[in-house]
Amino acid sequence: MKINIELMGSLVDYLPDSERGQSVLILKDESTIADLLSHLKIKRRVIVAVNGDEEKGLEYVLSEGDEVLVFTVISGG
Amino acid sequence: MSYGYTGKILHVNLTTSEITVEEPEEQFYRTYMGGSAMGMHYVLKETPVGVEPLSPENVLALCTGVVTGTPISGQSRLTSVAKSPLTGCIGDAQGGGYFPAEMKFSGFDAVIIKGKSPKPVYLWMHHGEAELRDAGHLWGLTTGDAEDKLKEELEDKRIEVLQIGPAGENLVRFAALISMSNRANGRTGMGAVMGSKNLKAVVVRGKQKPTIADPERFKELQKLGKTNLEPTGMDSFGKYGTPEVTSPQNKSGGLPTYNFNSGTFDKHEEINGITLYNEHLRGHERDEQNRFGRDTCFSCSIKCKRVSQIDEGPYKTEAKYGGPEYETLATFGSYCGISNMDAIIHANALCNMYGMDTISCGATISWAMECWAEGKLTSEDTGGIELKYGSAEAMVKMTEMIAKREGFGKILAEGSQKASEIIGRGTEDYLITSKGQEAPAHMPQVKRSLSVIYAANPFGADHESSEHDPAYKAYPERMEQIGLTNPQEKLALNEEMMRFAMVTQHLSSAVDSLSVCAFIFGASFQLYDADKLVEVVNAVTGWDTDMTEILAVGERRLNMLRAFNSREGIGRESDTLPKKMFKRPLEGGRSDGYSLDEKEWEAALEDYYRLCDWDVKTGHPSLKKMDSLGLGWVVAENEALSQVVT
Repeated sequence: MKINIELMGSLVDYLPDSERGQSVLILKDESTIADLLSHLKIKRRVIVAVNGDEEKGLEYVLSEGDEVLVFTVISGG
Repeated sequence: MSYGYTGKILHVNLTTSEITVEEPEEQFYRTYMGGSAMGMHYVLKETPVGVEPLSPENVLALCTGVVTGTPISGQSRLTSVAKSPLTGCIGDAQGGGYFPAEMKFSGFDAVIIKGKSPKPVYLWMHHGEAELRDAGHLWGLTTGDAEDKLKEELEDKRIEVLQIGPAGENLVRFAALISMSNRANGRTGMGAVMGSKNLKAVVVRGKQKPTIADPERFKELQKLGKTNLEPTGMDSFGKYGTPEVTSPQNKSGGLPTYNFNSGTFDKHEEINGITLYNEHLRGHERDEQNRFGRDTCFSCSIKCKRVSQIDEGPYKTEAKYGGPEYETLATFGSYCGISNMDAIIHANALCNMYGMDTISCGATISWAMECWAEGKLTSEDTGGIELKYGSAEAMVKMTEMIAKREGFGKILAEGSQKASEIIGRGTEDYLITSKGQEAPAHMPQVKRSLSVIYAANPFGADHESSEHDPAYKAYPERMEQIGLTNPQEKLALNEEMMRFAMVTQHLSSAVDSLSVCAFIFGASFQLYDADKLVEVVNAVTGWDTDMTEILAVGERRLNMLRAFNSREGIGRESDTLPKKMFKRPLEGGRSDGYSLDEKEWEAALEDYYRLCDWDVKTGHPSLKKMDSLGLGWVVAENEALSQVVT
């Protein structure tokens, strides 16, 4: 299945430079958020929003065409 | 024997040139632990009630903490406190670099400064000694030039200098203290206080390294700093620095744009951390930014500081003035509708050269730009400068004019709130200030617990005084360490979110008292969690402190700041937010239509007061609370305070 992914801030480094943090990924059917993070080799603490909903857990099963946003919580400046 | 601290506090009276050394007991250090709390001890004891902030009687305290100068990430920070010329309330500002550690090595934990020198001087603290020296030849110099001259004069390239630039000499109300020509104790105008005393700089050098009580445990904690890098993401925070948050903030609708009228900037990618790293850090042409475009503080492995250099053109900039943080990219960028990165880099450098806070400076200009857009300011006011949103040229020009107090810059040098009082014409409707301090680049309409912290914080709107709302849900195991186990829905502004705000404020307040870095120690994304902060303090000092005691240090400092305001007659009436946050819904992006509801907000503020044990009607701390924190003396020694604290 295909999902649309956007990685925010420093997470852009988990995709090739040319994609500037946005990509369409092909994953096995019934992949979870945990599978997606593992596919991207993201080991750090992140927040994942699926179609705008940040409440899904790591075991949530993704669907074809999902819009997935991955970001971190850093509150400084 | 004292571990971690030197046991010596320097007292300098600039009027009489008298210099004395105090050696407090261990209990003093255990009670305050350093930084802001330690400084407030002296400010409350020695500053007369109602003092004019730019008068000789205002006391300026510069304090390190009990772990400053030990070889672990995040410890080299210095806190400055004094009554603020920007707000008329207590002022407080932290800064990092190498100066704080070197000040400890010079043999002193803190320096308490009062009086006014009859002529410009600098304070030279070295190898356990201190003297005042003539600074007539340094007055008027930019920070970079003054630092070069001092290194030459003292024949030592390894001195560290904390100084004011021309903006501090000119008493710009948001003038900063600057070290390394690019690190700022930025907020609340501490540079103007130092300028009013004719004190150009504090220069330090020494070899007295702090002794560590438990070296084995300390080594383990040092190692943890390395193994924590990837899981916490602090490795990439080092690579992109604070600017990495620019686009995520925009995505959430929380990037202040057009003077806080929107949370979304359509050109955010031109001013974000990725663009800064790839195209504007020194060495980017050869892909060598990590070597030439990043800098760090004493013994810190993160290297989050930016270094930019522009070789030619109108925004030519020297690398020694550093590079912009997220706050600076926002205030000179999206606040003003500007996406010209070179102009922002240059404005940042001007602030570091002249010694000004980039947040208040950029936000004061964005306020003036909104006044211009609304027809409240014209070229007659500005001397012909068209202060239009998006004009990089006008923004840079105005930054320089503020520092020099030239033309319209003379009015903006007062800060936006005082400037609006001078100009009138309804310009106060466009202010984004709390207690007269311009709001930093995190939006209370989007991260709602900040709405109460911005208003109630004793030194004005501040983004480093508590954790931000999304952290509660994102870091449950770290929040549990400080007793927070009940995260709330997004945009909630209820009693539990006020508890989150208050408890994390106490921890942040302890961080500012220990004078350590808020990116390294804290209850959410930081390199070390709150439990490890306790362990670092114990490993260095040999104490047996715990989380309850550390949080109490933070609460003590917060109540000292609050009590300072109370004795000045400042209470609940000053705990306000800019009108526009209630009356003007945000436009565009994910926060389109967001505003704060006044009734809901007032109720939250009262919840916060109750949780703090502050009087709901007056906002003053209760006598019971002051007593429980060992602050009964603050009330007993001050008649004005004893009349309002009950």
